[in-house]
Amino acid sequence: MAQANLEKQLNILDYALSSLWRRRLKSLSVLLVFAAVIFLLASFQMVTQALSDKAKQVLVHTPEITLQKMSAGRQEGIPLAYRDKLAGIFGIRRVVPRIWGYYFDEVRLANYTVMGMAVDEMPEGNRLDAALAKGAMPGPDEQGRVVVGHSISKALDLAGRNTFSLFRPDLSLKPFAISGEFSRDTDILTNDLIVMNLADARDLFGTPNGLVTDLCVYVANPKEIDTIAKKISEALPSVRVLTRPQIQKTYQVVFGWRSGFGSICLLSALAAFVILAWDKASGLSPEERREIAILKVLGWETSDILAVRFWESVIVSGLACIVGMTAAYIHVVYFAAALFRPVLMGWSVLRPELHLLPRLAVGDILLIFAFTVIPYLAATVIPAWRSATVPADSALGG
Amino acid sequence: MLIELSGVSKIYNQGRANEVRALSGIDLTVEQGSMVCLKGPSGSGKSTLLAIIGCIFPPTSGRAAIAGRQLARLPDRFLTLHRRETIGFIFQRFNILPELTVLENITLPLLPLGVAPKERKLRAQELLERFGITHRALFPAGQISGGELQRVAIARALINNQPIILADEPTAHLDTTLSREFMEIMLQLKEAGKTIVIASHDPLVFEHPAIDRTVTIKDGRIHVP
Repeated sequence: MAQANLEKQLNILDYALSSLWRRRLKSLSVLLVFAAVIFLLASFQMVTQALSDKAKQVLVHTPEITLQKMSAGRQEGIPLAYRDKLAGIFGIRRVVPRIWGYYFDEVRLANYTVMGMAVDEMPEGNRLDAALAKGAMPGPDEQGRVVVGHSISKALDLAGRNTFSLFRPDLSLKPFAISGEFSRDTDILTNDLIVMNLADARDLFGTPNGLVTDLCVYVANPKEIDTIAKKISEALPSVRVLTRPQIQKTYQVVFGWRSGFGSICLLSALAAFVILAWDKASGLSPEERREIAILKVLGWETSDILAVRFWESVIVSGLACIVGMTAAYIHVVYFAAALFRPVLMGWSVLRPELHLLPRLAVGDILLIFAFTVIPYLAATVIPAWRSATVPADSALGG
Repeated sequence: MLIELSGVSKIYNQGRANEVRALSGIDLTVEQGSMVCLKGPSGSGKSTLLAIIGCIFPPTSGRAAIAGRQLARLPDRFLTLHRRETIGFIFQRFNILPELTVLENITLPLLPLGVAPKERKLRAQELLERFGITHRALFPAGQISGGELQRVAIARALINNQPIILADEPTAHLDTTLSREFMEIMLQLKEAGKTIVIASHDPLVFEHPAIDRTVTIKDGRIHVP
């Protein structure tokens, strides 16, 4: 009995395949349109998830707490002397000054992020070298030496040289020599980044002595970040206190918002496709009516005809899902999500050439499946009930 | 009796404004191994009567027993199952699906029965040889001649070895030669023990010597001259 039932389902599947092949032009066009919708949705899902993962992974190496001086709602230089006010807070391991800012390169029409760091003062500062593909971070006495992100070295187009110059505010030139390059794995944060020592950054931006852009606070116990942040806020009321979890959350929100916006647009496209599929499945051509009536007279039950329609939809949507998701994976991994980069990477002129590796979690695959295949099955199988109930006697009497 | 109808009536759209009484008080019995022709003009009720005998739907009233089963008591699903096992259909214009191959058309009734592909092919081969169309097995049905199409339709009606063959206006679109050929095949089937009911108003059919009895239907009733 079970064997006959299995054989029957295989026969019906066989008939569904041959039916799709007979209408191959129509089937192929539905498959391609559906695969394209799934491709867009899956690409978005994969790229967002990969970017969030990457940001999370890279932000692990940032300071636990960052302090910035605010005045009238705007950031201004924070006095180095504030370090003394933090000395009494228990749990602070070290406070390291940092100067950073944006440098607009008018020749290349690109924005660079310039960061002056006191690497020698950072706890485990030597570990930063691990983020480099080559060279070493500039020491406090190494004047004019910088480490650059991948896009910077490409944009500067040094043609074998390792020196370049940037303008100070008074338009005098400050020469630099590249002493290292960041690893491509850190592209999401370092792509447009130039790192130099604190003195060089002060010189380049003309930052007054005694002031820095922010103070990086390293704590002894990461579980106490929030408590220490609260104590700092109380000690320095005019200072904005940013914790690492807050920064991570901001990144998640930014990517989440962009992804959500894109997803809404793409879900609208999916909805339009599903409505079209519903419309197509509810209308029956005279040939289709005739075929169903003939099958019913020949002993096919309504459920058998529904099974044919079900298998047809499963094959089309399953293939579309495989094609769409594979194409999305290739698009994200090998083409760095070229279609969505303007949406997801923000305003930067030097967009990171990211090498993203999406983590293909079962949950994500099921989510895409649930948003694509299930609505399509519902849109085609439910109206198919109407077509399957064509009376058998319509095949008689000419 | 293989087919027994007693006081059978059929009303379409009963109780609605477009109600149509298609059959009234039909009494008909057909013995096993006999060939009966249902004769009458278009719209007389022949196809409706054939549909009731073919277990496509039960009568509105009256008793209809086909191969020992009372149709009135059978739900739709069991009508289909009973039809699969009992009735082979030959349609007007043959109703062959033109995009399917000859072999696929012939084996269509076997698919919902769960017959394996090898067994399906074997059974079809036997019928293809019997009707001399083996060379057309893999041709799309839309590309074969009218005579071959007729034999494909008969082969399809026989594939599950059902005891009753029903033919609805089978010669309506055939020339004289093909109509005669069709009746010769019906005679062979009758001699092989099949019970055959043909609905037709073609004299070539109802005057054929193989026909044991002709039943005239007029305005939904059996007309006794």
